[in-house]
Amino acid sequence: MVGLLIGAIFGFILQRGRFCMNSAFRDIILLKEYKLAKAVLVSLAVLMVGFAIFVFGDVIDLAPKPFKPWSAIVGGLVFGIGMVLAAGCASGTTYRVGEGMMGSFVAAIGLTTGAMMTGAGILSVAKLDLQHVVIGDKTPTGNALLMLIVGLVGIVLMFIFWGLPAIKKKREANEPMIKTENFVDSTFKKAYPWWVTGILIGIVLTAGYVASNGVVGITGGWMDIDTWLLTKNSVMWAGFIIFGIIIGAFAGAYLAGEFKFRVPKDGFTVVKQFIGGGLMGFGAVTAMGCNITNILGGVPQLSLHSIITGVCIVFGSWIAAYLLFMWRKD
Amino acid sequence: MVDITDTLDCTGEVCPYPDVKSKRKVKKMNSGEVLEILVDYPLSAERIPETMESLGHKVLSSDKTGTSAWKILIQIK
Repeated sequence: MVGLLIGAIFGFILQRGRFCMNSAFRDIILLKEYKLAKAVLVSLAVLMVGFAIFVFGDVIDLAPKPFKPWSAIVGGLVFGIGMVLAAGCASGTTYRVGEGMMGSFVAAIGLTTGAMMTGAGILSVAKLDLQHVVIGDKTPTGNALLMLIVGLVGIVLMFIFWGLPAIKKKREANEPMIKTENFVDSTFKKAYPWWVTGILIGIVLTAGYVASNGVVGITGGWMDIDTWLLTKNSVMWAGFIIFGIIIGAFAGAYLAGEFKFRVPKDGFTVVKQFIGGGLMGFGAVTAMGCNITNILGGVPQLSLHSIITGVCIVFGSWIAAYLLFMWRKD
Repeated sequence: MVDITDTLDCTGEVCPYPDVKSKRKVKKMNSGEVLEILVDYPLSAERIPETMESLGHKVLSSDKTGTSAWKILIQIK
């Protein structure tokens, strides 16, 4: 039940903040647009501080992943390419299902299929081969103090370089710092500014970690639902997160008048989204986590595996974006 | 009333297609012409006007015309 609730809040914020790592990374090179990438960085810093606080409070245990270089590199690159094809990362795809985008639902099915095949099916051999090499500690422990320091330094730097100029600009333009008069409107109708999204995502994912004593994941959740459909085993925490995200995103989209069933006009797009989803599924299981688990779960724990995976996801998305949208300049 | 030179219908398309297509479209158009862009994807509806402004084009209007439907008018610089 807690999973459902946290998922719903997460989904609501994802929808309002249009928080999609696919857009965040891809648009750095495609549109020279950095807002979502900044939101990712803000949430990372908040997560580091948030996790560290609860470690010091003895509420959670850190569990950074052991560094498996091939699994991180191959899984990350495949995931990054897949998410551009699927037009959404694991979380982006999930929240768009709640917005009524059928293409994303197809991508989610592709994601589940790819993940199941890699987890136990015919692709699991490739996964095991890639995960065979481990560098360093097999059960690394996190360093909460270091996380706290990196997180706080990050927050201070971001405030100095992004926050202060923005405040200065507002002061010069004589705009009020915070518009309080239309709180309901800005909470339920409008898209959130990137820094609000970043902070909120950081807080809700910290809450998710505290509630389950483990990172929140998307791919595992979809697999969980699939297992439930096939075997009628009860849905676990991870599956409830997915249902929650979809419900929350639906609520967010509905309240803002943005919910509508939408089908891509072009049948080929749907095929691409399915294939992209499948690639993401393979990548996520191989790299031991999708973008949320690795980037927003592992990177804040300063796990080398997650950092390498994250970098490769970014590169993968750039490769795919370049080939799909920039290579052929017509 | 402005004269619409051309219409780009991006309904049903997911990101980044509306953004990329509108960017390509305005490149091919002449100065002063007006492009009408139809989108039903929230993120693109917010970002296309921003992108267009940063490219120097004039955003004449950006209206929500229905449930998850937007109409954006751009005048080419």
